[in-house]
Amino acid sequence: MKYPDRMGHFGDYGGRYISETLMPAIIELEEFYKKIREDKDFKKEFNYYLKNYVGRPSPLYYAERLSDVYKSEIYLKREDLNHTGAHKINNTIGQALLAVKMGKKRIIAETGAGQHGVATATVCALFDLECEIFMGKKDVERQKQNVFRMELLGAKVNPVESGSQTLKDAMNEALRDWITNVRTTYYMIGTVAGPHPYPQIVRDFQSVIGKEVLKQIKKLPDIMIACIGGGSNAIGLFYPFLKYDKVKMYGVEAGGFGIQTGLHAASISGGKPGVLHGNKTYLLQDEFGRITEAHSIAAGLDYPGVGPEHSYFADKKRIIFDSVTDLEAVSAFQMLCKLEGIIPALESAHAIAYLEKIKKEIKGKSVIINLSGRGDKDMHTVSDYLLDI
Amino acid sequence: MNKIDTVFNKLRLANRTAFIPFISIGDPDIKTSLEIAKTLINNGADMIELGFPFSDPMADGKVIQKSYERALKNTISMQDAFDFIKRLKAYRDIPVIFFTYYNPVFVLGSKFAGGAYNAGVDGVLIVDLPPEESGEFTNYIKKRDIYQIFLLAPTTNTPRIKYVLSYAKGFVYYVSVTGVTGARGTLPMSIRSEVEEIKKISQIPVGIGFGISSKEQVKEISKYADAVIIGSKIIQFIENNINDKSKILKEIAEFSSNIKSSLS
Repeated sequence: MKYPDRMGHFGDYGGRYISETLMPAIIELEEFYKKIREDKDFKKEFNYYLKNYVGRPSPLYYAERLSDVYKSEIYLKREDLNHTGAHKINNTIGQALLAVKMGKKRIIAETGAGQHGVATATVCALFDLECEIFMGKKDVERQKQNVFRMELLGAKVNPVESGSQTLKDAMNEALRDWITNVRTTYYMIGTVAGPHPYPQIVRDFQSVIGKEVLKQIKKLPDIMIACIGGGSNAIGLFYPFLKYDKVKMYGVEAGGFGIQTGLHAASISGGKPGVLHGNKTYLLQDEFGRITEAHSIAAGLDYPGVGPEHSYFADKKRIIFDSVTDLEAVSAFQMLCKLEGIIPALESAHAIAYLEKIKKEIKGKSVIINLSGRGDKDMHTVSDYLLDI
Repeated sequence: MNKIDTVFNKLRLANRTAFIPFISIGDPDIKTSLEIAKTLINNGADMIELGFPFSDPMADGKVIQKSYERALKNTISMQDAFDFIKRLKAYRDIPVIFFTYYNPVFVLGSKFAGGAYNAGVDGVLIVDLPPEESGEFTNYIKKRDIYQIFLLAPTTNTPRIKYVLSYAKGFVYYVSVTGVTGARGTLPMSIRSEVEEIKKISQIPVGIGFGISSKEQVKEISKYADAVIIGSKIIQFIENNINDKSKILKEIAEFSSNIKSSLS
């Protein structure tokens, strides 16, 4: 059975839990996307920009010194080398082309750390689209550089002062804007979450990661590892490999100060199923079903939910979900800098950190890790963190 | 018979439009919000819509967002909300429409239906649960005399209006503006024709909400609608007079009786 089903469900998860005002727009998007998904010209255009603008294919790099440490064969999928520095651009190129074809001239998006915001602002400049980004006030303050980047690219950044003033509230505000301007506006969601068809659209565009890996390898890997916030880089790498049962997959969530402290962003490892932002999925919430704040040193993982497809594969145990703490992620961050001369994004450092947790298991095995982004944006965060220890 | 039907039948005979005010349970606190609800009943409310405060009210504008934030300072459980409704119903048994986002209901599952029914809830409006996803909830409330109230919006096209109406019970809630909740000075001209289109398809009463704030708007809308729903404008009186409870009650009483007298 192929997922999602006709109504956008991944087993018990996914769907479209949105207000009536948005339903017609979501149905319009679904129908439009269904047509264009198999369209040759659309694919050609998408691939053109991925190659010439983003710089794809990204290398699959054999990390020799890292492999020596773990006595295994470790490959890094270098999404950090993409234009704008992360995998996020794969999705925004695709959705921008979709928006242009739908005749929408105004784009809105939510962002946490600012990576999706920057990727959105970038494609809006490229395709001459009006761009407004919603970003929690707290994130605006801690990610000043990305705010400046978005503004340079011509986007308007709206600080969101409601709720916890972070990513989930930015998404609430983007949805409110969309409810108000739905006739003219395209909502560019940055991860494999939200109402159907978004989880499918974002997965399709991000799957370029795994498809390239399939061409780059000589034999199937034993293990794949990716970090999980909403889960777009992970599903992008995993999706083309799901049919190969012998490939083991690990999704690494942000453990923050540790799951037991309650201060984390691990929706699957430390949350339970619920409904938020248009889909049913694992969420961080209190006993009354109110959404609680997430915590992670990696702002891009700092979200109290996860894509519904991940929830589905978590229950099925096809993907194994676990977490690493802020401290473990920062140690891995330092290790990769010194061993390979690669400064990873703190998000991606979570995936690297997981090697330590399964070091017995990976001995003699081949491992592919999605290095989803580069760490230039994290210099302040890491130096502050190291000073505090 | 569900009390929502009883009230609409009665009003229809008298050729009158229902007044349905909306407030959040627990804003600014449980005790005061119960007094506000009683004040609304004493000043003309035919039914009342009660909001269960949620952390992420995606379909709501600033006024209701702040209302929920005030209420959430005193963590309000679903049981607190049911107790509130029970007390209100003991005071006066008018139809109660429980407004919520889906997650707080989903985490309780079928326990929600039992609690809501015992408290006296007549209708439940779940703003992020369109008919497509309502099967699970329908299952929760089956065998209970509780209606799920559905919404129509200016963006809903005719085939979809028919589809949504096939699920509708009690009344259908027509969202008058393309946007979130919140008082607006002007409302779209197209409301009347939209409502007339709905009425061509179904006999079900049509309530109009979102954006309504003045006597003049109410007077106009009552010419063709079966109910007017007003939330943000009423809650604004709480926000404006947060430290003066008697003023909150006085202004809400005045406003409601004014609205009531403009309804035909």
